[in-house]
Amino acid sequence: MYGGGNIFEKPENEIQEDPVKLAEFEARILAGEKIEPTDWMPKEYRKQLIRMIEQHAHSEIIGALPEGTWITRAPGFRRKLALMAKVQDEVGHAQLLYSAAETLGKPREEMINDLISGKSKYSNVFNYPAVTWADTAVIAWLIDAGAIINQVANSKGSYGPYCRALERICQEESFHLKYGHDNVVFLATGTPKQRQMVQEALNRWWPPIMHFFGPSDKISVHTETLMRWKVKMASNDDMRQKFLDMYVPKIWDLGLTIPDPKLRKNEETGVWEYTEPDWNEFKRVINGDGPCNAERLAVRKMAEEKGKWVREALLNRNEMYSVPLS
Amino acid sequence: MPIKSIDPRITRANIEIQNKETSKENKVLEKLDHWQTYEVFAQNKRGEHYSHVGSLHAPNPEMAWILAKEQFGRRNKITGIWITKTSDIFSVTENEEEMFELNSEKIYREAGGYKVMDRINKFKKENKKISEK
Amino acid sequence: MNVNEYKYNSHTEMSDELTSGVKDLLFKMADDELILGHRNSEWTGLGPILEEDIAFSSMAQDKLGQAQAIYNLLNQMGEQDADTLAFTRNENEYKCCHFVEYPIGEYDFSLMRHFLFDAAEALRYNSLLNSSYKPLSDLAKKFRGELRYHTLHSEVWIEQLSRATEESKARMQSALNECMPLALGIFEPSKYDDLLLQEGVFTGEENLKSGWYEHIQNILTNSGLKVPDLSSITPSFGGRNGYHTEYLKPLLDEMCEVYKIDPEAEW
Repeated sequence: MYGGGNIFEKPENEIQEDPVKLAEFEARILAGEKIEPTDWMPKEYRKQLIRMIEQHAHSEIIGALPEGTWITRAPGFRRKLALMAKVQDEVGHAQLLYSAAETLGKPREEMINDLISGKSKYSNVFNYPAVTWADTAVIAWLIDAGAIINQVANSKGSYGPYCRALERICQEESFHLKYGHDNVVFLATGTPKQRQMVQEALNRWWPPIMHFFGPSDKISVHTETLMRWKVKMASNDDMRQKFLDMYVPKIWDLGLTIPDPKLRKNEETGVWEYTEPDWNEFKRVINGDGPCNAERLAVRKMAEEKGKWVREALLNRNEMYSVPLS
Repeated sequence: MPIKSIDPRITRANIEIQNKETSKENKVLEKLDHWQTYEVFAQNKRGEHYSHVGSLHAPNPEMAWILAKEQFGRRNKITGIWITKTSDIFSVTENEEEMFELNSEKIYREAGGYKVMDRINKFKKENKKISEK
Repeated sequence: MNVNEYKYNSHTEMSDELTSGVKDLLFKMADDELILGHRNSEWTGLGPILEEDIAFSSMAQDKLGQAQAIYNLLNQMGEQDADTLAFTRNENEYKCCHFVEYPIGEYDFSLMRHFLFDAAEALRYNSLLNSSYKPLSDLAKKFRGELRYHTLHSEVWIEQLSRATEESKARMQSALNECMPLALGIFEPSKYDDLLLQEGVFTGEENLKSGWYEHIQNILTNSGLKVPDLSSITPSFGGRNGYHTEYLKPLLDEMCEVYKIDPEAEW
């Protein structure tokens, strides 16, 4: 699960690239061809891709925690099995994505170190708690829906290994989305208590969902380059609009209230209008001050530390690390 | 104070929140901590070629197979897995693609490069003339 | 046994006493799978490395799937539905052994439990392939593939960790010592054992135990571990008769927390 909202860093200083190679590289992308790990690529392209895929991978492994919160309490076999499979898939996605990022030259260990130290970011939404069972239903439906919109766009990007990973990820996410929808429908059409649970969860998760795609993109030369290189595939606002268009009617169908009195589709322009999300909060949470940031990182660190003796026991120190093929 | 989480598993794990400042220098994993990399090839159906499906981290081939089985075989049915160390894969990386370009003029090795019906028809015609004589 | 020659194709053909015996067997099997599957699922997202996290979670799911299938079979024999059986009974109505109730501990304990339990489970299902009660034989066939992977996975891990570093050897040995009395609790004798054996339904716990001990002793000894002598261990019995460890009640409270908000509701 991963949204936009990843902040692409401005290049520190313009790196001079070989103009002939750069032209060949850009022509290839323009022709719709993929870039493979051993191809020549601009340094900036490599750097931004590592950053993006790494953030995506972190979002998957950290994303396993809010829903994992209810893994031991899922009601009934059907939900228990589905939630286990879903959280497992998120771990699987992290595995695929770390491998894709590794092909660009950053070993998995370094990425995880950067995650735990707080240097590297992940999707903001996972810094919020899953307070009740209904929160996991809302996450599985709406956060995964947002993730699919973002990931389907990214799967048409230019970097081969990332596209291949996303292809499989999107296939699995479609089960997550169906599962999440099914779960929300059962709650929304269930007993008054169940309905109340899901409404309250929606109230809690709406602001993070609006944050999910990130603030409006500032159009800069830099963003234009990333779009030309097919690193960034869609604008944050476009994805948010697409999400609202697809899912607000489905939420309203269930008689649930979205906690934004201004939310409506402007029939003339076809554009959704909404209360501007609190971007200060977004920044505050991304920089570490969300309700769960500290816990999420401490848990990840604990998992790595607890597993250390297992990994160390089987480690063959005579081996050299190789960058995976894809 | 250990974390009291909404997740009972986390509360049971009894973990301390890390200090924000010291965490900055935190380097939990050393090089190779997550083992070396292996490449995974799978066959989707008996009779088909094995093809590359991804990479994973493992300490040795036996373990790599066991781990690959679930990561690459749990969602879609496959009929077999091959494992190899990434470092054992040999490939030529520089300007590889140029060498693979096909010269469309090499029609001598295409089925379409052999058209003899004209010749046969001509021969038949002439042969007929001879026999008629 | 010839596929068409089951002595019992349905429980309606069995005596009341035999039906009770089969149900007793099914309840302990299902409850073991449920509780251990639940325990092992606690590792999901927190495993020692991503790849193993995925594998271990799959096997936990398999266990829950097996539990569900056995409860469904019980349901066909007149018991309540799978969810009601799994999520609403009182603690003393569960027939699981103490072994599966213990917290996950460190990965050494979880792996050793996985190895010892799954070896017993695989032998149990293997013997059920020849059961005179068709649904049991069908069940065993259905899960054969899953169990093969489980035993392979556990054996490779045990063999490798037991031979690796000083730390890992010591950890595996002490995990084994801790697990053995609990593992023997799997084979707590049942008053139905003789009847089930006589009727060709199930080989009985004592026979299962001998086969199991020989099997695990081979693997563990080859891996360099010292296997405690059976005569020196007091098995942890009681679970099969509803007497449980201090860990089961909190586990059930947690597992059933949401379900019990409203057991009548559809979740």
